[in-house]
Amino acid sequence: MVKRVLPVTNRLGIHARPAGMIVDITTHAKSDVQIHYGDLRANAKSILNVMMLAAEPGSEVTFVIEGEDEERVADELQKLFENRFNED
Amino acid sequence: MSSKHILDWDVNKKHFLLVRDFYERYRGEMNLVLLTGDATLDSKIAEKMTHRPGLALTGFTDVYSNRRIQVLGSTEWAYLESLGPEGRKLVFAKLARFPTPLWVLTHSLPPHEELLAMCEQYGIPLLRTKLGTQEFVTLAHRILAEWFAPYSDIHASLVDVYGVGMLYVGDSNIGKSECVLDLVERGHRLVADDSVRVRRIGDAVIGSCNSIVEHHMEIRGIGVIDIPRLFGIHAVRRVKKIELIVELQFWSPDASYERTGLDEKFANVLGVDVPKVVIPVSPGKNITVISEVMAMNQLMKLNGVNVAQEFNARIIQAMHDKGRRSPESELGSAFGRTDELYE
Repeated sequence: MVKRVLPVTNRLGIHARPAGMIVDITTHAKSDVQIHYGDLRANAKSILNVMMLAAEPGSEVTFVIEGEDEERVADELQKLFENRFNED
Repeated sequence: MSSKHILDWDVNKKHFLLVRDFYERYRGEMNLVLLTGDATLDSKIAEKMTHRPGLALTGFTDVYSNRRIQVLGSTEWAYLESLGPEGRKLVFAKLARFPTPLWVLTHSLPPHEELLAMCEQYGIPLLRTKLGTQEFVTLAHRILAEWFAPYSDIHASLVDVYGVGMLYVGDSNIGKSECVLDLVERGHRLVADDSVRVRRIGDAVIGSCNSIVEHHMEIRGIGVIDIPRLFGIHAVRRVKKIELIVELQFWSPDASYERTGLDEKFANVLGVDVPKVVIPVSPGKNITVISEVMAMNQLMKLNGVNVAQEFNARIIQAMHDKGRRSPESELGSAFGRTDELYE
């Protein structure tokens, strides 16, 4: 199992477009992917689950990934967050 | 491969309209009378415009759109009348050197002998219409624009779903016909299955059925069926504007599909951008209900409502509000008010 804490640094937070990018990675993953935000836990393969969190700029989310490609998925997600979802 | 279905259509154009076809098809609607011999109807119209040859009649022929239909209204007729027979003879002797496809007299004006003589001698048809000049010109432009419109015959199916023209494209045996049949069964209207004639008229892309196939369909395992006879006349229509292209693709685990609805895709059809969606299909998956939902969503967009954008704004607003809310209200909004249970 991999736990990856990622800061939300893009200007608008995890709105629909970033959420779409996240599930594009997670739905192609073989691993189970959970996203934790505060007390909320969501299935990171469901776009509505991810959007429901409304993770705002300056906050942090934690991905909990379990499965054969967990390291690769964690790295891809990290890269996506670091690139600020190609927003700016 | 996916976009090739849509972009690689061969575009065709008609090069001429036989005056005979024009006359026979519209003689009733336009009140046309042929004043020259039947053989003159073999003349060909090759331009989609009309021309009022006022200046040419006065002798200025340096610029003369002689390849267009020549329309004589009351102005031109009155001018010719004022010239007298000798003057008219000179005018038409000069104009006879320019090949013209067709002359039309509007307002049922009587033809001058000299015009009639020129037409007979050079095999040019002369028609008379009861319509006024503007009426005739407007109607003729519409007819010619449709006739000369660029067109393609494409492997696709077109259905009117809640008034939205949905064009289905995709590989053979992906289930286009089955989807169409399902939609017809649910009360939607078939325009064409398997082969659609697509024309561009103005900024619209119009689809219609082949006149031989009409509304017959082939269903594998059954054979050829006749939709209006099976389902009734309300199950079909002949022509429909194409408003949404639905590309059916075999579902692939590696492909990415639209998730948010924020990014609208378009396909260029005969130079017009038409909204397009790609729908993954897997065996047994029913795309009929999805089709109805797409049609309704498209209707909402046409009415200025974009749910994807509204929903996104809602999420961004929720993030924005967070800083100003206590944790309790956040809990309340996440789980709903429990007092609603007792209402």
